[in-house]
Parts: sequence; structure tokens; C-alpha cells
Amino acid sequence: MSIARLIASASILALVSTGPSRAENAPAAPATPAEAKAGHNGHAAPACNDPKPDCAMTANPAFDRKGRLWLAFSVEKSVYVASSADGGKNFSAPATIATIGDGVVDAHGDARPKVVALDDGTILASYTTRPDKQMIGTIFTSRSTDGGKTFSAPQPMLTEGGQRFDAFVVSPRGRIYGGWLDKTNALKAKAEGKEFRGSGVAFGWSDDKGVSFSGKKILLDHACECCRMSAALDKDGLPVFAWRQVFDGEVRDHYAAKLSADGAALSGGRVSDDDWAINSCPHHGPGLAVDNAGWHLAWFTKGKNRQGLFYARSADGGKTFSAPEKIGDDARAPSHPALLSVKGRLYRVWKEFDGTTTTIPMQLSRDGGKSWSAPRVMAQTADASDHPELVAGKGGAYLSWVTHKEGYRLLPLPRDEKSAAAQ
Amino acid sequence: MRSFALALAFALAASGAQALDFKPYGRGAFAQIVKAHAGRPLMMHFWSITCPPCIAELPQWAKMIEMRKDVDVVMVNIDGDEDRTRAMLRLEKAGLGKAAHYAFSDDFVDKLYFEVDKSWRGELPFTALIAPDGAVTTVTGAIDDPLVTKWLEKRGGK
Repeated sequence: MSIARLIASASILALVSTGPSRAENAPAAPATPAEAKAGHNGHAAPACNDPKPDCAMTANPAFDRKGRLWLAFSVEKSVYVASSADGGKNFSAPATIATIGDGVVDAHGDARPKVVALDDGTILASYTTRPDKQMIGTIFTSRSTDGGKTFSAPQPMLTEGGQRFDAFVVSPRGRIYGGWLDKTNALKAKAEGKEFRGSGVAFGWSDDKGVSFSGKKILLDHACECCRMSAALDKDGLPVFAWRQVFDGEVRDHYAAKLSADGAALSGGRVSDDDWAINSCPHHGPGLAVDNAGWHLAWFTKGKNRQGLFYARSADGGKTFSAPEKIGDDARAPSHPALLSVKGRLYRVWKEFDGTTTTIPMQLSRDGGKSWSAPRVMAQTADASDHPELVAGKGGAYLSWVTHKEGYRLLPLPRDEKSAAAQ
Repeated sequence: MRSFALALAFALAASGAQALDFKPYGRGAFAQIVKAHAGRPLMMHFWSITCPPCIAELPQWAKMIEMRKDVDVVMVNIDGDEDRTRAMLRLEKAGLGKAAHYAFSDDFVDKLYFEVDKSWRGELPFTALIAPDGAVTTVTGAIDDPLVTKWLEKRGGK
């Protein structure tokens, strides 16, 4: 990197806390698109500073009732929401949700800003910031009631304790459920000089379209603190959450549970006995979907009992799970699974990497996860990429994926086994 | 993004503040570092500020470096640039200010993981133990892992 460039970058830095839009204020033009996506030979990839999905490291999608796609993403120290009426080809000018001064926006790997589209047209965005000096986060929410043009001043979900890895799901009656990992009890234990494994698992909900959240409470302790949670809606309209739990002896296996109607209790259980006994951060949370057949989970483990990517389902509300089935090609480091159920079709995707090319294989099940179509590669890239996300829209299920080289992509998934099998 | 922390480091340097020197760790770095230490036992330790177990054991790494001059140690921070200042503060607090430090300078992290170990997906702490003859053993988890202890006893030898 040249000195001139460093100075230009430093000037950008100086503007961070004052400028609402990086693109408008940046004194130096960003690199050419080709250059901006490069990054090779151990040199820093020149920044792609534009506030658009193509420049994001992570992107979280949601379709609204009218079929418009919404994306939450972060570029450097700002969080944005943009929307697309043509399936992700063109995006609206992004609305800036926040530009933070102190700390960073949590938008790497499992952590990412999120967006929820409500039936009345309200758009709810969330993001987490981490202050410079501590390894704790604050989850913020912000909403738009004018079609995404403007967003309200972000409100912290909680102001103490430290929270990360939020997951939201909306019930048919319009209640927004949120789950997150909460460090409150861990900090308390630390202050008392006591040992504490992981984070608490906390939940809350909003009955006023995200204006406020109530019932916020830690219902279980000792979740693995560095892996995302996943959420999906059960048949009865109550939310199911899945996360990596720290069991006795530093065993970091998975847990899935449903929140009770009064929000005061969890019912569920351990997904599998992988026996990954390790004091480490996998940075690798599970995927979850729910359909008429039950709960479906996919996860990564390096346990004593199994290693790799696995799938299992529960037909009895998490009391028991089917034997874990391996997903993907072990020779291609399968990782970061996502699951989605749309109108009787169950999809699973994940990432594979052979040292050069990253692919997103997909499988479809029409019988509630008992049998799956042969894996079909939906997309690939030869540079950095986000985890794959699945999103349901009017037209069915879509893969949402942002990659360095290709930018943002939204790809419809096949609706039957025949087209699923076609390469 | 990546240019950001470099700018920050530059700003710190310009203001006279002491900036810990992170060498860039990009594609091919693993092989280059292994080559540079050929003939000596090398521990390449990967860590992140988003990994509480990593941070908790940083002082142990400082102690290890102090006590085992016969083993080369290279610390690699895998965070993005936006977290680099924080990483620097953590290292200095743990007494690792003068150790050899690299930091991920490439967003293609899947490739950086793969070059160390084909089955590594980014779980941390993660350590590559490289014997003088270049044989690589990888360990997920803490520095007191029996594999690490055993390897250290033999100084990477067989």
C-alpha cells in the first residue's frame, strides 16, 4: 500500500464519526471495481467503501409481503438497509441505520446486522456494536415506517451486561420474537471472582412492531459465546431457537428449544452427543428450520463421536433427535449450514472449499428431511465469501450470498427433485 | 475493511504512539513463515479478540516465549482490521508486545485456514506445531493441550 493511499485512508478515518455517508465524504475515490475485489499476495485488499451490498462482508435478507427484497449489511463503521424490487439485481439507495464512532459493527462470520419485514410494511433492522475496550456487545434495533426511506434512532435492546448474536422471528399474529446471547451473568460471576462458562441465552418479544421489546430475560446459562443462534417458527406460532451450548466439561454441542407461550420457559433438548470437549470458540453456529415434520438442524462439530457437518431432526419438540447424518464432502471442508422450509419443501445449503473454489451445494427434501436430492452446486466463487443464507419469498426459496468477486447474488432454488438434480 | 486499520496504525505512528508491528498475513503466508523458520521448531498460534479462551491464555504464551527460547513462536491475529487496535492492546497487556506478530490481511479467510490445515474452519484458539523437518501438527484449543505439551517435550522432534 502506498503512502499516498495510507494518507487518503487516514483522512477517511478522520471522517468516520461525522460523515453519514462514506461515499459522499471520501476524499479519495475507491479503487476500481476490479482492484477493489482483488487482494492477493498477502497484501491488504483495497477497500470497497461504497455503501452497497456488493461491498459488504455479510448480508442478511428478508422479503416483504409485496415481494420486495430487503438487505441489512455493514460497510466499515456504518450499518445500512437497502431494498430491491427485481430480486437483488438493483438496489435502492441504502438508508443509513447508524454510523458508529467508538468500537466496531459486529459484521464478520457468524455476526451480522439483520432485517425483518413485517406484514404492515414496517422494516425492523438490528445490529450489534462492540466498544473498543471490551469484548461485549450491544444490540440495537431501528425501524422504518416509510418504506425504508428513513429509520428511527437506534434503540439498545439492553444497556448493560453485553449481548451478541441476535436472531428474530415473527409469529403469524405479528409478535416479533428475539433471542440473543447475553453476558450479564458471566460478567457478574467475573466480578465475584467466579468461573463462568459461556453466555446466557436470553429472549424477549415485541407486540408493537419493534417499538419496544418486553419480557427480556435470560432463561438458560452457558451457551457457547462465539457462535450464532438460529430461529424459526413452530407450527403453533411459538419460536424455536438453536445454539451451541457448553455442557459439562467444556463440551460444546448443540441445543434446540422452544419458548413457552408466556415467554418464561424453554422446552427442548440436546441435539446430539458429539462430545466436542474443547475450551475454544468454534465461531460456527447451527442452521435451523421447522416444518410439519418437526425441527431440522444442521451443525458443525469436531467432537470425539463425529467430525464434520451434520443434520438431525426432532418430531417431538426437541425431546429426541434422529441420528446425526453427515452432510457434504469431508474432503472439501463443509461448513456454515443453513436450512429453510417453504411450502412443504425443505432446503439445506452449506459452504465447501477445496483450497481454490468455494461452492454452495444445495439439497432438497420433499418428505420432511427423510430423503434428500443429490447435492447440487448453486453458486461458487474463487475469493472471499459470506456464509450462505436462505430466504423465503413469494416465488419460493432463495439462496442469498455475497462474495468479494461477484458481489451480491440472490438465486432461486429448484422446486422439485428433477430440477434440483439438474446441474 | 482492510485499509482501515492500516490507516489507524499509520495515524498512531504519525501521532508518535507506539504501534505494535503486525506483519501482514495473506495468501501463501503460512508456507513462507514455515520456510523462514525451517530447521527450528515453530509454533504458529492463531487467535482472535472475539475468542475469550484465546484472550485468557495470552499471558501463558508470553510466559512460554520467555521460557522456551529453543522454540520459535509466531502469533497470528485473525481479526479484521477494525479490531486490530484492540488486538494490539490485548497483546501488550498480556506482555506480548515484543513477540513476532502477524495479522490477517486478506478477507479470503477460508483460504488462509485451508493453507494451514484443510480441516480447519476457523475455530480458535488454533495452533500449528511445525517440526524442524517441516512436519505440521495442528491443535484446536488451549496451550496446555497434551498434544502441545508432548510436542514441546520433544521440541518437535520425533
